[in-house]
Parts: sequence; C-alpha cells; structure tokens
Amino acid sequence: MKQILSLTVNNDTYEVAVSPWRTLLDVLRDDLGLMGTKRGCGSGTCGVCTVIIDGRAILSCLTLALECAGKSITTIEGISSPESLHPIQKSFIENGAVQCGFCTPGIVMTSKALLDEKPQPNDDEIKEALAGTFCRCTGHIKIMEAVKKASKQ
Amino acid sequence: MAKKAGHYTVVGTRQPRLDGALKASGRAEFTDDVVLPGMLRGKIVRSPIPSGKILNIDTSKAERLPGVRAVITYKDTNGLMSGSDKFLLCENMVHFFGDEVAAVAAVDEDTALEAAELIAVDYEPLPPLLSMEEAMAAQAPALHDFMTDNIADEVTMSFGDPDQAFAESDYIREDEFSVQPTHSAFSEHHIVLADFSLPDRLTVWTPIQSSAIIKSSMASNLGLTDSSVRIVNLHTGGAFCGRGGDKPHHYIAALLSRKAGRPVKIMCTADEEFLVYRGGGKYKFKLRTGVKKDGTLMVMDADLVHDCGAYMETQFILLRFVGSNMQALYKMNASRYLGKLIYTNNPPYFFHHGAGLVAMRFAIDSQLNLIAGELGIDPVDFRFKNAVEKGYITPAKFTYASCGLKECITKAARKAGWKKKYGKLPAYRGIGIGCGMLRSGGKGMYDHDNSSVFIKLEEAGKAALFTGLPDMGQGSHTTMAIIAAETLGIRIEDIKVVAGDTDVTPYDVGAISQRGTFTTGNATINAALDAKRQLAKTAAEKFGVKPAVIIFQDRKVYPKGSPEKAVSFEDIVYATLHSDEGRYVMGRGFYNPPSGQSDMSKYEANTALAYSFGAQIAEVEVDPETGMVKLLRMTVAHDVGRAINVLGVEGQLDGQVFSGMGQTLFEECVMEGGQVLNPSLLDYKLPRPFEVPEIERIIVETSDPYGPFGAKEVGQGPIQCTSQAIANAVSNAIGVPIKELPITPERVLKAIREKAG
Amino acid sequence: MRLPRFEYVRPQALEEALSVLAQSGSRAKILAGGTDLLVNMKQRTVCPEVLVSIKTLSELLMVSSDAQGFTAIGSGANLTDLAANAGIAEKFPAFIQAVRAIASKHIRNMACIGGNVCLDTRCWYYNQSKLWRDARERCHRTGGSVCHAIKGAARCHAINSSDTAPVLVALDAKISVMKKGENRLIPARQFYCDDGIRNTILEPSAIVTAIHLPDGNGAGRSAFIKLSMRRGIDFALCSIAARANINGAGVTDVRLVLGSIASMPIVLEKAAQVIMEAGLTQSAIEKAGEVARTELGIITNLFTSAGYKRQLAGVLVKQALNELKGKTAKRGGAKA
Ligand SMILES: Cc1cc2nc3c(=O)[nH]c(=O)nc-3n(C[C@H](O)[C@H](O)[C@H](O)COP(=O)(O)OP(=O)(O)OC[C@H]3O[C@@H](n4cnc5c(N)ncnc54)[C@H](O)[C@@H]3O)c2cc1C
Ligand code: SF4
Ligand code: FES
Ligand code: FES
Repeated sequence: MKQILSLTVNNDTYEVAVSPWRTLLDVLRDDLGLMGTKRGCGSGTCGVCTVIIDGRAILSCLTLALECAGKSITTIEGISSPESLHPIQKSFIENGAVQCGFCTPGIVMTSKALLDEKPQPNDDEIKEALAGTFCRCTGHIKIMEAVKKASKQ
Repeated sequence: MAKKAGHYTVVGTRQPRLDGALKASGRAEFTDDVVLPGMLRGKIVRSPIPSGKILNIDTSKAERLPGVRAVITYKDTNGLMSGSDKFLLCENMVHFFGDEVAAVAAVDEDTALEAAELIAVDYEPLPPLLSMEEAMAAQAPALHDFMTDNIADEVTMSFGDPDQAFAESDYIREDEFSVQPTHSAFSEHHIVLADFSLPDRLTVWTPIQSSAIIKSSMASNLGLTDSSVRIVNLHTGGAFCGRGGDKPHHYIAALLSRKAGRPVKIMCTADEEFLVYRGGGKYKFKLRTGVKKDGTLMVMDADLVHDCGAYMETQFILLRFVGSNMQALYKMNASRYLGKLIYTNNPPYFFHHGAGLVAMRFAIDSQLNLIAGELGIDPVDFRFKNAVEKGYITPAKFTYASCGLKECITKAARKAGWKKKYGKLPAYRGIGIGCGMLRSGGKGMYDHDNSSVFIKLEEAGKAALFTGLPDMGQGSHTTMAIIAAETLGIRIEDIKVVAGDTDVTPYDVGAISQRGTFTTGNATINAALDAKRQLAKTAAEKFGVKPAVIIFQDRKVYPKGSPEKAVSFEDIVYATLHSDEGRYVMGRGFYNPPSGQSDMSKYEANTALAYSFGAQIAEVEVDPETGMVKLLRMTVAHDVGRAINVLGVEGQLDGQVFSGMGQTLFEECVMEGGQVLNPSLLDYKLPRPFEVPEIERIIVETSDPYGPFGAKEVGQGPIQCTSQAIANAVSNAIGVPIKELPITPERVLKAIREKAG
Repeated sequence: MRLPRFEYVRPQALEEALSVLAQSGSRAKILAGGTDLLVNMKQRTVCPEVLVSIKTLSELLMVSSDAQGFTAIGSGANLTDLAANAGIAEKFPAFIQAVRAIASKHIRNMACIGGNVCLDTRCWYYNQSKLWRDARERCHRTGGSVCHAIKGAARCHAINSSDTAPVLVALDAKISVMKKGENRLIPARQFYCDDGIRNTILEPSAIVTAIHLPDGNGAGRSAFIKLSMRRGIDFALCSIAARANINGAGVTDVRLVLGSIASMPIVLEKAAQVIMEAGLTQSAIEKAGEVARTELGIITNLFTSAGYKRQLAGVLVKQALNELKGKTAKRGGAKA
C-alpha cells in the first residue's frame, strides 16, 4: 500500500515510498534523517514538530506525508548553515531564549513564519503565534524578547 | 576562594550558552535522534486497572507476530526490583493504572505496538485504595503484602522544646493546607535507548539529571561491574526534579536488548508521560504556629501526609527534606514535625520542580500571612522581623555563612511599590509576598558526594573541560566554562565542554540538590588551579622564578609584579606540551563539601555549606464572576551569592516564576479512579505565552565564602517563593484565605461565595 | 502516538469524492485539515479504513456572495485565511472572532472551516488513549451502557466544542450538505443534534460543502465570547454567540447561543425573551443572566463541575448582552 512520494524539503527533492498512515514528522526524521524537527506530544499541543509549509508554521505530527506532495517544506535544517545562522537563531542565542533546547527548533520555525509574514509584530501577535508552542524552561519570557529583538533588525 | 566582586573578567557577565547555536539550529543531539544499526523499538504493556491480581499472561500471539524480536514478562526479570518496593515487571499483582506488566521489542514502532496489544493479560480486579483517607482507615487492607498497613514511611522530628514554646506564645493558630498532584511536563518525553547485546557491556542513552546515580543503580541491580555500564547523556530536554534516577523503562529497554541481542529504544507516548512521570503527589499539611504579640515567631508544629502512590521508591527523601527545612527560613525556638507517606493505588509520585518543598513553603508562608493579619502587622515587616540572617544556625543545624534574605525582602518590597499598594489596591486586585530558601550543593546521596572535573590543555592555548554534570537546560556547562576561563585567565571561547558519557567524563553525582554551580563549580576551580600549577612549572623555569609567583591573566602569563615580561598563555601551554619530558597538562579537581558535625538520629546536620534565599512579590487581578486569576506582575529578588552568568540567572528566575505560577494557578493532575483525567498538554493546563506576567528581576549577591567566586544556587531556590506570593496576593484580593493549590477559578469562586455567605 | 493503518484517497473533483464516499459508506471518513480527526485516530476512537482528503477540492474553496443575500464560505476554507478576510470580518465580526479563537495559530494554519463545523464531540473519558479508556467499562459511545462523564446518564452527553457552531446558530446560517445525487441547505439549528454520539445530521457519505451566512443578520449587532483557562490554545469552558437588532430602545431578534456546554449549541429562549420584553437595560441583563442559568438542562462536567459551567453561562450571557449594548465588559479571564 506504499505510495511513492516526491517531497521537496529545504529545496532538495526526495523520492520516498510511504504508507498512508505515516506523518510528515515520521518521514522527515526516519526516512530523511532530518532530526532537527522534534517528536513530542504527537497531538497538536506542543509545537516541537513545527515546520514551514508554503510560508506557514504547521505541525508535522498531524500532517500526513502524502498530503505534502508538491509542497515546499522548510525545516530547521533549511534556514541556516552552521556558519551563518538566521537572525532569529542569533537573537534566541544572544537573548537567552534557549535552555534545554528541545522546544527550540519548533519555536524558531514558528517565529520565522511569523516574521516572514509580519516583520514588525506587536506583543499580542507574537503571543498568538507562539501560543501553540510550549517551553517549560524559559517560561516563554526570553523567547518573546528574542522574537521582538529579531523583528527590530 | 571568594574574591571581591568587580575583579572578574568573565564571571558576572552575560554569556550566551555554549550549546546555543547547536540547539537553535536543530543540530543538538537528543536521545531520540540516535539511531543504531539493528535498533529495535520497545513498547511496554501496562496495567489497565489500579489494583488487581494477574491471573495469566499469554504472550504467544505476540511472539508469533513477524518482526517481534523479544517479549519479556516477570519471568525474564529475575525478580528485578525498581526501587525498594516495586517489581520491575509485576509478578502477580498490579498496583496502579499503568504498572509495567510486560514488554516487547520489534523491528519498528507499529509492529511493537501491535505486538503489545496481542499480549493477553487476565486480571482479577481488587477494590483500589484511591485516597489517603481510605488507605489510612483502620480496616483498610495493606496494599503491599510485605506491609501490615499503608504507611510507607514515617518520620518525626523535634527541635528545641515545642511544648514550652507554645506555652510561651501569645497567639496560636492552626490551619490545614492541601496541594494537588502535579506533573513535570518536560518537553522531551521519557526515552531510553539501551544496548545490552553483549552480557558484560550495557550502554544506555537517556536524558537524566545524574548519570552517576543511574549508572551505579543499573550496575548493581543487573549484577554488572560499574565499568561495564556506560551512560550516554546527550542533550536533555528539561528535568525539573523529574529525572533524578533510574526508572522502570531504563531496565525494560536493557532487558529487551539483552534478550533480542540488539539495541532497543523506548519512547513514552504523551499519555504514558502521565504514568511514568513521578511528579508531585498530593500533600496535606496541618500546621500549628505560635507567636508573641509583637510578631516574634516562636514555634511550629506540622503534620504532613503525602500520597506516595503505589510505590515509595525514593520518596522517603521528601519526608526528611520537609521536616528539616521547615524551620530554616524564619527564626524560631522550636519545631515539631510528623511526616507520613501513604501508599495508595494512584501512580507513584516523587516531586516536581522545587525539591519537594514548594507545598510546605506555601503552607507556612500562607499561614504566616494570616497570623500577621490578625496581629495587625504588615506581612513584609512580619517576615523581615523573623527572617534568618548570616551566622544563624537553624534548629536542624543549617548554618548560614551568607544570607541575603532581609536584603531580598527589602529590595523586592521597594521595587514592587509595596507600601503604596498593600491595602490600597482597587477591589479584586491583590498583592502578596512569599519567601523561600534552599540549600546549595546539597549532600546526602553517598559518602563520596563529590564532583570531579578534568581540564585538559591543548596546543593553541585552549582547554577542554571534562565534566560528568548533566546540563538539562539550566546552563551548567556554560557556568563551568566561565569558572574555568576566569580561573585560568583565558576566555570562554577558549573552553570546550566535554560531557555526557561516563566512559569519558569523571565522576559527578549530578545535577541534583542544587549541586551544579556550587559543587561542580568548586571542582572546576580546583581542576583549573591544578592545570595552572602544571603550567606554572614551565613558566617558572622560563622566568627563573618560583612557580608560586606566576600570574595568569587575560591570556597572558608573567611573574608577579612584572607584567612587561608577559608571554602568551598559548606559548606557555605549547612549551609545556612540547617540553623534553612531553609534559601533558591535565588539571584534575574534585570537591565534596565537608560535612559539619551531625547527629542523624536527631536529624541534625548541616547538609550543605551554602543556602540561597529569596523573596517574591506578586500582584494579581481576580475576576469575581468567573474566579479567574491573572498574575499581572512578579517582583523577584534572589540571593544567588554571585551571578556567574547573569543571563543564565535571569533565565532561571523567569522559568521558575512561570513554573511556580503554573503550579499555583493552573496545574493539577485531576485524579479519579486512579487515573489522571487530564493526561495531555491540552487538558493539563500549563500556562502559555498569553499568561506570562511582567517580571522584575533583582539579583542579590552576598558572596558566599564557600561558593565558587561566592556563588550559591539559582536552580530551584526561586520557585520556593512563588506559590505563596501568588496565593497571598489572591487572598489579599478576595479577602479569603487560600488553603489549597492550585487556585483554580472554581475554587476562587467558591471562596468568594462562602465569604459572601 | 501512531496512526492506525488506512487507505488514502485524494479525489480530484467533488463529484469523485461523493462517489468514493457513496461506495465506502461508514468505512470512510472525510479528512479536511486533520487536526481533530488524526488526533482521534491516534487515540483509536475512530479507525476508518479509508480517508478521503478533500481540502484541495477547488469546489470547496470558494467564498462568494449570492443573490439571496447570503455569503457562502466553502468548507475547505482555511481558518487562517478566513481570520484574515477583512470583508467577512466586517460583515460577520462574531463569526470571525470565533474563527480566531479556535485552537492555536499552528492549528488554524492547517484546519478548515468545514472541519470545525463538523467537529466531533468531546468528553474526558472518550478523548483519551486506548489504554486509558480500557481501564473503564465501555460507555454509551464505545459500545457499553454507562456514561462516565455524567454518572447515570441514559445517553451520551459529550460536548460540541466547536467555536463557530454557536455563531452559526445565532446568525441563522445555513449549511450546504451534499451527497451523491443530493444537495440540501440546512439551517444550522437543525444541523446539530442533542446527542453526543450523532451530533449532526450528517450521514457518512455526505460532505458539508459550504456555510451560508445571511448578510442581513450580520448587520445587526453580534458578539462572540469564549472563556477558557488559557488564551491561545484551549477549548472553551463555555462560549457564547449573541445577536440582536437594536432600533432605538426597541430590541428585536435577540438570539443567545451557548457553545461548549452540551452536545449541541444551546439556544437560550427564555433569557432572550427577557431582553426582548424589557430591552437592554441593566436590570434586564442581570435577570437574563439568572434566567440563563436556570434554563440550562443537563450540563457535562469537563474538568469543571456542572455548577461552575452554569455560573459561566450566566456570566457570558451578561457579558455578551453588555457587549451588544455597546459597553464592552471590562473583566473576563481568557477572553478571545
Ligand atoms: C490542541 C488542539 C486544540 C484545539 N482547540 C480547539 C478550539 O479551541 N476550538 C475548536 O473549535 N476546535 C479546536 N480544536 C479542534 C480542531 O482542531 C478544530 O476544530 C479544527 O477546526 C478542525 O478542522 P480540521 O479541518 O482540522 O478538521 P478534521 O480533523 O479534518 O475533521 C474534523 C471532523 O469533521 C469531519 N469533516 C471535515 N470536513 C468535513 C466536511 N467538509 N464535510 C463533512 N465532514 C467533514 C471529519 O471527518 C472529522 O470527523 C483543537 C484541536 C487541537 C489538536
Ligand atoms: S459523555 Fe458519557 S457516553 Fe458520551 S463519550 Fe463521554 S463517557 Fe461516553
Ligand atoms: S509533536 Fe506535534 S504538536 Fe506536539
Ligand atoms: S528550552 Fe526547554 S522547553 Fe524550551
């Protein structure tokens, strides 16, 4: 019952054979080895699995891989190279928005989608965008500061 | 060891964490990111009832399923225990909903899941004991057959002469407080990867607060030598007291791997997280306090009963902590304590964020507010009057070499505008204060409660720091790099931290009892000093002086008083490594806080050399119609001794205020029938960005004489103050005492109603 | 959590989708954004053999105004797109407020309005993992004959917690339902049923193709308020949609509809009557709040007691009426 799927992730195209019940998250991690996207609740509540599809932050744990055919997917691996981090990543690091780091890739992707859409978000817009993510360590405080500072650059 | 402030180059700056770039770019490796050749997926079969007999387990169907490589039940465990009172896999009784009964390993997750469902277990349900009251009732059957009742543990402590002190009190008040169960909810689920393919070599990858504890426990329980167990602790997604030691899934993965001859990974699903978490249990406090008319605190008498769930495991620690800490914040002549752990058929607990003391601090500080109110004394003045100070020795013999409690109270009150606000806010707005303390660099796990650090110097004047201390997000590795850089006279960029693999790193009891900064920090200084001694030999030969006069500063090395002769740090390292003898430089440091005199029969011991203190002031708004509470602002003052990394300290303050707010206003494992009714991040109401309060941070530095550069802790101290500050603020807003956590809208509304009559 | 096995079909046209559904009957489920369905499948509350993916069907993506004075919104409309649609927001502010209050931005980025309208009911026993449910006797909805949420209840009272459902009822929206060879336009009030198991009149082979909002009704005043523990990602503890036509002192066509409190949106007839008789005076508003509390029948306790929900219902009625009156209620916890 597997279907051959052509996936465009971070501008690379992959051909993978997937069963219908496999989520984008499974395929990214298990088939493509893109481990930056994390596996958490699996039910839409934590945001650690966030990737960007067609400019929007979406949850890969609730997205069937087959539904992604022909779409342009960006994962945390696709927004920077080790030598040149994205300004949002830099802002997170400099402003102490990273602690244990498990939530970080998902929150960085969420923030990127926000700033791409609204380069100068107000506080409520930042909170709204981040409400679907969850950070037990920082209490979201420095994360919101970091997004704010990144937006001013 | 403590120098005066202001003389440091790296200590006291704002340092972004060393692993920040790795984490922000998704390249930091967590356990789930490790994939080994031939790796299997494991799944645990759990009891679907809170109490019952196992009549039969039929694994034949599961074993026949293609792709299944191992199935284990009690018979494969050799009677292995997890903790003192729990069979790893149940033999013939199950004691809580979720109790581990069997496990499977298969080629992939879907197959493992299918196999787990094919294991047929017949149970004979027994009536469960679901509350402490039921479990303590005279006729209640003992939950465990090795017991005659359900009191898992009991501790009494008495200091001074409580009867006399009550007799001398002008005013005595008695209240009951309760706290509902809470969940750790760290973002990385419980996970383990174990490779036990060969009988004498076990490697375990897992997020953990202490590699040392899990290593020694697993070695001894599995009959292995210490050196045959290797713990790999990659990045860890949060811990909050919940990842102290070995848990059943660690052993289950190991046994499955042994049986299958292949590595096995087990990751808990979202709902399993609520079965294995060992978070905070249900607390009930009865508190009796005596004071003089002028507000002088005299004596406290506390009865604690704590639901420990089906297994005690290591919860006895909690009972002792509470008893020995209850008189440690305010001066008093005497105290008495009776603590009990009660077995029930609820999931086993431990404690969540706050070292098991948060509930006790909430109870005490809330009652003190009520007393202050009745005596007509301002709550801030009342605390200030009774606050412990430098030099004070508590009834349990905690000795305060440094103490900034009064400074925290004063500064927080000033910053929060207490005088302008207290008693003067509009209706349904409230302000409240809470104080707390916590030991730093706590002892009591082992005799050799030490941390060790190696510092290896490399040609380019760089250093590799080897530590066994896990960094679960608190930033300890960065802190160690700062301490090493400061001591060696180099920069933080010159240091790399090597951690997370017990085959490589030296021994460290781990990130428990606020040991990181204090204990491992001191070990780091010692290692750096040792490395410097080795370098000083080369420098002394070069300058023709004694090694003792060599100065290391700003990446330069020179004889004292002659900075013009300086050569670079790099050159000295190079010269040492390339000397005729080929002197390899490896600084070795260890530290174990010396114990003072102790009499454990009376629970009198100074179990740490340093203690942190704090005060927080909360401002809240209550909606009188819905009962919803909004924490508007929190002013946080914490005596950290010295802020080694200001950015890191702020992060800890933020995280704990937020987590403390969660525990106080939102978080509750709603229990029914032995099940958590809300086992998901959707229904277990952790606050999110919209609930974030404004935070004012005040870092108080008292430079502790024993701390590295004067530092103490900030890992769990701040959260000791939060609940009672918020509770007191709510109570101030609605004019009704708050005696139960969390303060849900429904409870607030009920309180308002009852007041209105 | 893993998904069970299923077959995946993505029809290229609505007609094809209807055929597939007609053939598969109750073995199939419609997949829109999947944010509700896939979670339920992971928990094994539903295990369809076939998923029919509809969110890319162009026939379901249209937003248009028709000659009868209705604005039609295709069921495939994405919630984030809708939330940003200024034209609809201007005509139907309460509707758009409800859309914006759904779940989190992540979820709105994925979900469709059709999925929200057809949202499965929830309760604390049912919406759990299989392991969790297996710990208890089967309930009305899982093949047994008890209810765990309301002890002693003779039927399933699982809650409809769709944020838009009460608004659709309040605004007299119509729901366009198609199955092979049949196309019906059903008033929202008749679309929902007071039954936790079968909470809409939809048959398994039918698709909601669009919702139709009457332009005239949006023009009166309308309000939507959602109370939840958290703002940003939470189902409602209780929500309300309200509408009224106000001409000077006269108030007509008052509609008060509570959401997330029963298996269907609850229309508060008596409370509305109070206002229609006395107008939007302060004392009438107070009284309407009281009446609302007594007017409610059985309430499911979803983590809060029925009594508390009843209290919230009264509060919401007052807040909504005050908002209609033009005075925005100042207080209120996590209001969306
Ligand atoms: C963490 C979390 C929080 C949430 N919070 C909220 C909330 O606050 N408020 C709220 O209302 N919802 C909430 N939801 C539920 C859900 O995400 C939303 O209701 C969403 O709008 C559902 O849309 P969907 O397109 O994803 O639906 P799907 O999951 O695709 O479908 C939902 C149901 O509708 C059926 N269906 C879908 N489209 C059609 C159609 N055109 N015709 C017939 N049947 C159809 C499906 O078969 C399924 O039974 C939450 C979900 C999660 C995971
Ligand atoms: S409301 Fe009652 S019958 Fe309906 S799903 Fe919940 S427990 Fe079952
Ligand atoms: S893993 Fe996708 S939201 Fe939690
Ligand atoms: S940094 Fe640990 S959960 Fe966010």
